[in-house]
Amino acid sequence: MTALIRTNLPVLVVIAPLFVAFILPPLARRIRLVEALAFLATVFGFGAAGYLAAVVFAQKGSPFIYQLGGWPAPWGIELVAGNLGVFFLLAVTGVSVPVLLFGRGNLTAEVGGAGRVTRFYVLYLLLVGALAGMAVTNDLFNVYVLVEVVTLSCCGLVSARRHPRAAEAAFTYLVLATLGSALVLGGIGLLYLLTGHLNMGFAARELGRAWPDYPHAVLMAVSFTIIGFGVKAALFPLHVWLPDAHATAPSPASAILSGLAVKGYLICLLKFLYGVFGGVLLRELAVHRILTLLGVTGIIAGSILALAQEELKRRLAYSTVAQVGYLVLGFGSLNVTGLVGALFYLASHAVIKAALFLSAGAIQQATGKRKIRELAGVGRKMPVTMAAFTIGSCGLIGLPLFSGFIGKWYLLLGSWEAGMFLPVAAVLAGSVLCAAYLLPVIRAAYFAPAPEEDWQDPGRPQRLALLMLATVVLALGVRPGPFLELARKAAAELLAYY
Amino acid sequence: MRDFILKRAASLILPFIFVYGIYVILHGAVSPGGSFAGGIIVGLSFIAFSTIYGIEEGQAKLPEKVLVWTESYGTLWYGLMGMVGLGRGVPFLANKLAGVDPGTPGTLSSGGLIPLIGLGVGIRVASTFVTLFFTMMEEER
Repeated sequence: MTALIRTNLPVLVVIAPLFVAFILPPLARRIRLVEALAFLATVFGFGAAGYLAAVVFAQKGSPFIYQLGGWPAPWGIELVAGNLGVFFLLAVTGVSVPVLLFGRGNLTAEVGGAGRVTRFYVLYLLLVGALAGMAVTNDLFNVYVLVEVVTLSCCGLVSARRHPRAAEAAFTYLVLATLGSALVLGGIGLLYLLTGHLNMGFAARELGRAWPDYPHAVLMAVSFTIIGFGVKAALFPLHVWLPDAHATAPSPASAILSGLAVKGYLICLLKFLYGVFGGVLLRELAVHRILTLLGVTGIIAGSILALAQEELKRRLAYSTVAQVGYLVLGFGSLNVTGLVGALFYLASHAVIKAALFLSAGAIQQATGKRKIRELAGVGRKMPVTMAAFTIGSCGLIGLPLFSGFIGKWYLLLGSWEAGMFLPVAAVLAGSVLCAAYLLPVIRAAYFAPAPEEDWQDPGRPQRLALLMLATVVLALGVRPGPFLELARKAAAELLAYY
Repeated sequence: MRDFILKRAASLILPFIFVYGIYVILHGAVSPGGSFAGGIIVGLSFIAFSTIYGIEEGQAKLPEKVLVWTESYGTLWYGLMGMVGLGRGVPFLANKLAGVDPGTPGTLSSGGLIPLIGLGVGIRVASTFVTLFFTMMEEER
């Protein structure tokens, strides 16, 4: 039995959450059972990701390749749990466990009755399964299918709260995300047309031969994928749907949307850019300059927009726009250091943003206040929640000993190595702006006089979830060791052909 | 009883629409159409029934509870069919490798697991379609 599970792990990590998601709806009445099953599914995912990481580590970085249906590569669909896949799997499953824990017994207030809570868990598990699929897939069309699954479950999660604003946000998201899906599909179609392959490795090899003959088609494929994934990942000028969607969703949903869903699209973009188009082509078409420019504008504009927000969750949502800028900037650095920075920052931001959104949700639930200036004295009334928020903020700002620092440091070094000074300035300015929009929250929470109200920390599972995330932020900052090593190997692998 | 002709005609036609849907689902492996199209035809027969005889009659025929079950377990069935081969040490979604007899090409029994998978998909599509219709009708009220 264990051998059976072990040999099929790359597919099980994707379909186990999906399976549980389909078992749940008929059990809607028994909410405890639903919660337990969903929790088990995510914990299994984390265990599976850990095991796969150990396997890849033992094989010295050579990937665990799984052929669906037993059909070999150019014909069948491959799942590849290599360095990059395992890295993102660990991030996805690692964040999904505490976020789910936070929802335990706590969702009814935000979402509604048992039926709606069950629906929330179904969508959540679909999202986690599809994100795990994005980590391991090596097939262009599979990417499209997974993108659709992630998009639709995100729309469901955004509209989970019974509120007209939630419905409006979900609809805006749906319309723009559909546009993004169409562009991604167009890009995939062009690639298939040019190469005749849907397997990423084969498509990359064929594209290397074919692209001088069809330069315009390749250019179009590149721009379709960048804009398509850009809309979905809220890359700066295409971010308009994100603040509403992430600020109105229930807090566990905001955490997973900002922390992971956006990152899933970025991992897909990374796979397309480096795994299919390849570094040579990117340099030839000057795509890296476009990415860097998009990243720089994203960082600055996202941070300034965040600074202008009065509501805590909206400020955090705009901050996600800025952080996406960092990642895209790293993608454009075209060297190992920059990519290591982008990957590590991706994982660390997933954890940090989950911690921030969950603590913001807990504060909002306890106090009923949304505006930042109304949060005076929260820190003394809700010590655990605010401690998690503070640790997350320090990580996001990029103070040393917090996980964000290492990512930003490598991004800085990578930009320096690439000889581009604008991104260096943007990374530094982004940190300062980040401090400017997060520190006032902390100052108000700890140093402003507290009102006479009885605000309390949330229940035990919620506190445990916050502590878990805060610990990871610190642990990754103090001892990034093996995780950073994994990122380095993944980055080296992505740039191997270059 | 104002719609006497409509109801009589529907009671004659609807069973055939339903059976045709099943036919398309089962022949998905060998002929154009398939389980998605077939599932929609099956769902359509229920939708037509509910529009002609009234939504309450339709919901009595297919209560929400049943729809939830078929919707979830239709998809689960697909996954379970994919797992048939796992016990024999072949990958997920293996068909002939899993030791299933692929049958004679061109006949209904060909395709190994594909018709069985199609059955799950068909059930799921039909129930999703009906659920969507009921949801929209409830919003109307």
